[in-house]
Amino acid sequence: MSTFLYIIKRFIQAVPLLFIISIIAFTLLKCTPIDPLASMRANPSVSRSAIKAEEERLGLNKPAPVQYFYWAGNALQGNLGISSTGAPVIERLTAHAGNTLMLNILVILLTWTIALPSGIYAAVHRAQFIDKVFGILSAIGMSMPAFLLAFLLMVLALVTGLLPIGGLTSADFGELSFFDQVIDIAHHLIIPVTVLTCISLAGIQRQVRSNLLDVLRADYVRTARAKGLPENRVIYKHALRNAINPLITILGFEFAGLLSGAALTEMVLSYPGLGKLTLDAMLTKDMNMVMASIMMGAIMLVTGNLFADVLLKFTDPRISHD
Amino acid sequence: MAKGVAPYLLQACAVALSLSGCIAPPPEPGTRISDNLRVAERKHPRTEQENSVQNSAPKATLSSDNIAADAEFPNPGPFKLVTDKDGNELWQARGELGKFGGTLKLTSFGDGPKTFNCWDASDVESHGIGLMQFDSLVDIDPWTGKATPKLCKTVDVSPDGRVVTFTLRKGLKWSDGKPLTSDDVVFTFDTIVKDGWGEGSSKDTISIPTDYPVIKKVDDLTTTFTFKKPFSPFLLNLNAVTIAPRHVLLPVTKKGKAAFRPFWNVNVDPKTIVGSGPYILSQYIPAQRIEFKRNPNYHMVDKEGRRLPYLDKIVISIVKEQPQMILKFLGGEVDFLDARSVRGMDASVLKQKEKEGNFTLRNLGPDDGTVFLMFNMCRRKDPKTGKFYVDPVKQDWFNSLNFRKAVSHSIDRPSIVNNILRSVGYPLYTCQTTAGVYHNTDLKPITYSLEEAKKLLKEDGFVLKGDELFDKKGNRVEFDLITNAGNTIRDAVCIHIKEQLKLLGIKVNYAPIEFNAMINRTHTTLDWQAMMLGLSGSRLEPYSGANIWKSDGRMHEFDQRLPDEPDEKIQLKVTDARPWELELDKCLDTAAGSFDEKVRAENYKRAEAIAYEQEPLIFIYTNAVLTAARNTMGNYKPTPLAIYYTPKGSLHNLEEIYLKEGK
Amino acid sequence: MAAQAPALASTKVSRRTVFKGLWKDNVARAALIVLACFYAAAALADLITPYGMEFNDAAYGNAPATLIHIQDEKGNLTAPYVFHMQQENDPVTYKQIFVILPDTKYPIKLFCKGDPYKLLGLIPMDLHLFGVDAPARIFLLGADMNGRDNFSRLFFGAQKSLTIGFLGLLIAFPIGIIYGGISGYLGGLADNFMMRFAEAIMSIPSLYLLIGLAAILPLGMSSSQRFALITVILSFISWASLARVIRGMVLSIREEEFVQAAKSLGMTDFQNIIKHVIPQTSSYLIIAATLQVPNFILAESGLSLIGLGIQQPDASWGNMLKAALDQPNELVNQPWLLAPGFLIFVTILCFNCVGDVLRDVLDPKLAGGR
Repeated sequence: MSTFLYIIKRFIQAVPLLFIISIIAFTLLKCTPIDPLASMRANPSVSRSAIKAEEERLGLNKPAPVQYFYWAGNALQGNLGISSTGAPVIERLTAHAGNTLMLNILVILLTWTIALPSGIYAAVHRAQFIDKVFGILSAIGMSMPAFLLAFLLMVLALVTGLLPIGGLTSADFGELSFFDQVIDIAHHLIIPVTVLTCISLAGIQRQVRSNLLDVLRADYVRTARAKGLPENRVIYKHALRNAINPLITILGFEFAGLLSGAALTEMVLSYPGLGKLTLDAMLTKDMNMVMASIMMGAIMLVTGNLFADVLLKFTDPRISHD
Repeated sequence: MAKGVAPYLLQACAVALSLSGCIAPPPEPGTRISDNLRVAERKHPRTEQENSVQNSAPKATLSSDNIAADAEFPNPGPFKLVTDKDGNELWQARGELGKFGGTLKLTSFGDGPKTFNCWDASDVESHGIGLMQFDSLVDIDPWTGKATPKLCKTVDVSPDGRVVTFTLRKGLKWSDGKPLTSDDVVFTFDTIVKDGWGEGSSKDTISIPTDYPVIKKVDDLTTTFTFKKPFSPFLLNLNAVTIAPRHVLLPVTKKGKAAFRPFWNVNVDPKTIVGSGPYILSQYIPAQRIEFKRNPNYHMVDKEGRRLPYLDKIVISIVKEQPQMILKFLGGEVDFLDARSVRGMDASVLKQKEKEGNFTLRNLGPDDGTVFLMFNMCRRKDPKTGKFYVDPVKQDWFNSLNFRKAVSHSIDRPSIVNNILRSVGYPLYTCQTTAGVYHNTDLKPITYSLEEAKKLLKEDGFVLKGDELFDKKGNRVEFDLITNAGNTIRDAVCIHIKEQLKLLGIKVNYAPIEFNAMINRTHTTLDWQAMMLGLSGSRLEPYSGANIWKSDGRMHEFDQRLPDEPDEKIQLKVTDARPWELELDKCLDTAAGSFDEKVRAENYKRAEAIAYEQEPLIFIYTNAVLTAARNTMGNYKPTPLAIYYTPKGSLHNLEEIYLKEGK
Repeated sequence: MAAQAPALASTKVSRRTVFKGLWKDNVARAALIVLACFYAAAALADLITPYGMEFNDAAYGNAPATLIHIQDEKGNLTAPYVFHMQQENDPVTYKQIFVILPDTKYPIKLFCKGDPYKLLGLIPMDLHLFGVDAPARIFLLGADMNGRDNFSRLFFGAQKSLTIGFLGLLIAFPIGIIYGGISGYLGGLADNFMMRFAEAIMSIPSLYLLIGLAAILPLGMSSSQRFALITVILSFISWASLARVIRGMVLSIREEEFVQAAKSLGMTDFQNIIKHVIPQTSSYLIIAATLQVPNFILAESGLSLIGLGIQQPDASWGNMLKAALDQPNELVNQPWLLAPGFLIFVTILCFNCVGDVLRDVLDPKLAGGR
């Protein structure tokens, strides 16, 4: 019951936060010299009257706070407006969200299935050769900029011709059988998944390793060893459970990041995901689109944090939240 | 630890050294070292003449002898009208017989189309798709550049040039089977274009604001357009206005403009689209793919009387970045790279892989766009603040003809084309590219000469003290140069200009600015000094630059006149035009007011000469149009004059493109 | 979130032990040496490089790397020299080929006279470590499309990219510390409000915040002004998380006995914060600082990739990388165009290594937290 109340309390706390975020985002957008009509103005065959008509249509003449309330009112009713590309914002969001979700879920699965065992292994065999190797690999993985790695792999794909070059589907996707379609998408996902996994793998693996090391130093572990328990039981039965603890928080963040795209990587790889969508919207000052993306990211973050905190409460009764 | 590092360091040094060719003896003369490096023959020191020959740029001629396509595909003559057994009048395609079936794979970059409503399209992609799905009354003849009837059978212009009569062919049908008659023509021009439905700017390309033609339906196939005064750009620009299906769009217009715009937008159900072009939309997956299928009711036949088009499907893959398109083409995923897909840096790679990839890279000559340097010659004060838009000291420089000419002489255009455009471009000296039909061939290229530049500056009273230039009043010559950010080519060209002007003693402060902000400055605040800009143009109709060159034009940016009230519907009243601006206005108006080819040519050429003499815009370069088509594409006969918005692009005979046997 | 606050270090570690600890570890030592080399190279860029940042020779546009020879035609060892190259353009194949003219040798001169500059911005000099006579050029990593030396510009790019990290720290950290300190100390409603605001800033993905702020930058500023403003913008994305952590630490230190004691002895709140609370957070701050610099460098290159960072004609690793990424085809022939990317990677790697070891040295208990 108390957990339920806690969740309610957190949601209520989140509402003003989301409002503040939306105001900050809106203000930022408004401060930039927005002109969705810039390309129309730069086209010699467009007349003054056509531009005037467009200005009216987009309502660019009203003062900023009015525009904000207009947007907020609509958003709360579920109408996120029309993007400057002509399509309703919700349609574009959902289309791209699906792609990003797919990518991120694959990345999370791969990352954790590799990071957990390798982190544990590294911790258990601390300071030995394999630990050093992992150390170097993870240092490299954390330092490599994602877009650079993406680019290098793309050039590799070009040179070897083994992998498709960016995008999500091939030109003849419509004609393929369902099974072939799955293979086609999988083929295209190889590079983005590799890049994103490498980058996040490094961080998580180190985290697992250092958490486990911490726990292994604790008093109760020493006691368990002193009691004569075999090392295996010490590690897998006692230590691991406690080491998992901080990782749950990270899992919460991963959830929050599920719908956030790695914008630059997607740009380099032409992957039709949310990151690229938001980036393009920002660069073309597509107001409605940007507000919707940022709000969605914020909501996911808040939910993710909440999720992590609740999970934490379950796994570690010592932690009490005020 | 130091012990561990040393061997690695040594190895790295060794690699670096060998990379720089140190270890090996110097290369043999006459050998080739790598793909872009070779050794000259050892001989006598090069003479001055040989030096200049070696550094040749693509010939800076102003004729079109660079354009190979002319010779490659000779003019097959006009379309032949055939009547089939049902009495339908059909155009017969001029290419070879092809085979039916297959899917053509194209690619485009960007966000994809913004709408499938052709009349609401304000971006290039949506326009181009509209041209695939809908036909217009007239088309442009790819070889002569003149207007030829497309949906029409004949186009007649009355002797006084005021009345234009269009007669449609018999038996035209929309893709849903309904007949295409002059009712649709009247609906398109009297409602959609006249009342500004959708994007609303077509009206300004086919008429002047005070003279919209009166449209009358004579019978089911004939319509007349009556103007008060002849307006010759009407016919050529008509090609961009496609005929709308009255039976589908009239009910929508009844619901108001707010309902018209989202009609047939990107969420459209493809089955509801009714078109008159060779291909109709069949599926759209946002950010990924657009698919078109054959229109069974298309009204053209091949030499054996079979109904065109040949292909079953066309698929366009949407790619966000331009390099992706090249990679997709090289990887075999698409068959064709159309105009403006191939950049300078891609050209040499593509040329190399022609054999291996079984395709042909063609140069269709100069693009119709131009890139130029412009100074703010405005001498007026902002009515709101009472201050000059441009600092009076700088006004004098920018308005000095010698100053502009000196800057023009100090730009090394051939070097820009070589280094920055990698030879995929042409130096530009006037407002018409050499591909223009009315280009004035008497105008000579502007020589790259710093001496000439210095002489011109001296004549005007500018004084060089050390390496700083001062004007006759003692002010240091310095100005700000802006261009739109994020464009590597523009960056490089601006840096070239900055460095060249430094040699004259002029200090240039270069800053790239975000596009929106730049447009704001040129159109609203007029707060800029020098700018590098690129604009699209037209090979066929110089009047489409009217907005730029006429003194009251909306985009007369080198001396932008702003309307006093934002609501001015009538043309701006201009009171302070320079004599040559007025002469230019007169030339353009005279040319547009006559259907006589001689009058038009004479006046357009004079207008170009005035722009060349006064140089308010200092033209620098234009891109070359390259296309790469797989050799399995049959009937692909591009010409320099027939380049539409992509995806139609250089496929002026889209209906007769077919896929040959083999991969 | 309570789970996030790191454990406190209650022992202050002296500077000497920190340095010794760093030096003992092999990896940290190598990283420090590499970083020292990078920074020295950046500071002495004008001296080391044969050409200035803006120097250009259009006749050498897109030139490949200059070959250095130490043997003459007969095979005998001689002093290193280079040949002059000329450009050839073929409009049919669109190829740009460089032709080596083997007639004249141009020896490499050490400590020669070149373009004048001001060392460290103060001392006017014109000495360059090495160079060749005109018209030959020594472009060790080739030239870009304007004919500028890539090798020299890497050094000048280092100046921008390496300093932006530290300058950003200098702005972000004071803001974050003061904001967090005040918030934690005040507690109650003010604390609540301040933290909500900080969380809001944190919730916006940093890239978008960066773009939004970069697009606001007033136009037509000089390059150094733009550089300064970009630094300010970069610092915007990091102060919030720092403030939160500081606030958490302050909250717990506040209750410590020695702080209470000082208060009861009559110390004002402000003095308390400065003298007692903040020094306790020092070890965390040092580690956070070391680990934040790579983020700044990465953020700058991300901004430049989009075209909103340091602009031409200034060199930064970010915008040199962008130019390289715009020409994927060239990379096969000229892989060294990716050198800026490699240098960014190495710099970040070094900072991360140092940060890791620093964490171990300063506070063994912190070794697990992040």
